[in-house]
Amino acid sequence: MKTMMVLSALCFLSLSLSAQDKVVDPKVTASVTEIVTHYLDLKNALANDNGGDAAAAGKEVVISLSKVDKSLLTSTQKKAYSDLADDAKENAEHIGENGGKIEHQREHFELLSKDVYDLVKTFGGGQPLYKDFCPMYGDKGGAWLSETKEIKNPYFGKKMLKCGSVKEEIK
Amino acid sequence: MIGIKKILAGMLIVFMAIQFIRPARNENGQAFSADAPNNFDIPENILTILKRSCFDCHSNNTRYPWYAHIQPIGWLVAKDIKDGKAKLNFGELGDLSPRRKATKLQEMKNRIKDGTMPLPGYIFLHRDARLSKADTELILEWIEDVDRIGKVLLKL
Repeated sequence: MKTMMVLSALCFLSLSLSAQDKVVDPKVTASVTEIVTHYLDLKNALANDNGGDAAAAGKEVVISLSKVDKSLLTSTQKKAYSDLADDAKENAEHIGENGGKIEHQREHFELLSKDVYDLVKTFGGGQPLYKDFCPMYGDKGGAWLSETKEIKNPYFGKKMLKCGSVKEEIK
Repeated sequence: MIGIKKILAGMLIVFMAIQFIRPARNENGQAFSADAPNNFDIPENILTILKRSCFDCHSNNTRYPWYAHIQPIGWLVAKDIKDGKAKLNFGELGDLSPRRKATKLQEMKNRIKDGTMPLPGYIFLHRDARLSKADTELILEWIEDVDRIGKVLLKL
């Protein structure tokens, strides 16, 4: 009986812990919203084939990533955030440094898109977003996030601006 | 005339003095082995190329040339190693999450394609570290393979 009680107490504890991890401080979500805003600027610059604007937006992404107040995160959240943010930072830095090489920027944008998608899924994006996918990019296609339902492909720009479709609506 | 002699003597003293300020050496004494738990699974032929051309700045073991023991050259070498390891350390690549590995490999691919890595200054001094066309192709192919597998795992 005693062990049962201990076990159920432990069970309850672990449940309440994971529930706690699902609650995200609104200030964190607000910071993630800022990251997403700059990510979307970057996405639009790439869709316009503008490497210079993409580089500028990439630098803004880097700055906004450092603004998240990590003291508001639980330890599990902190771990998830660090992995995502470290990766996003590195990708955004490369985009920021390679204004003259838009294909490099796009390759890092693909990885950054995955990071930002997971950030939004974990911490909230603060706005409705669409996950788009274009099967023509690279070996197995590339995904990105957009604020509009209309497809504007950041991987091809005007070469194939309409390639892709909405795969998911994120609210 | 005496002025110039004094200046030269002064410079010599400074030069001798700075020889005593030696940066810590980047050597952990452990041979890199691709199947060590912390390391990344790298095939032998790729590992040979990486060891020769990349590991001096991107691992925990540098092969120091003789002039790296003369200051201030040693300081410059130490800085390159520090910067290099901060960006990519093959000795610790295995510790990273699949997401981080994918990003590191992507950057590696771009740098090699661009010819910005290995650093032109480094190649100038280490002729043997230059990547031949065949080396480049082998590495890029390997990255593509790893990347494909990695991205499937990541569901990118």
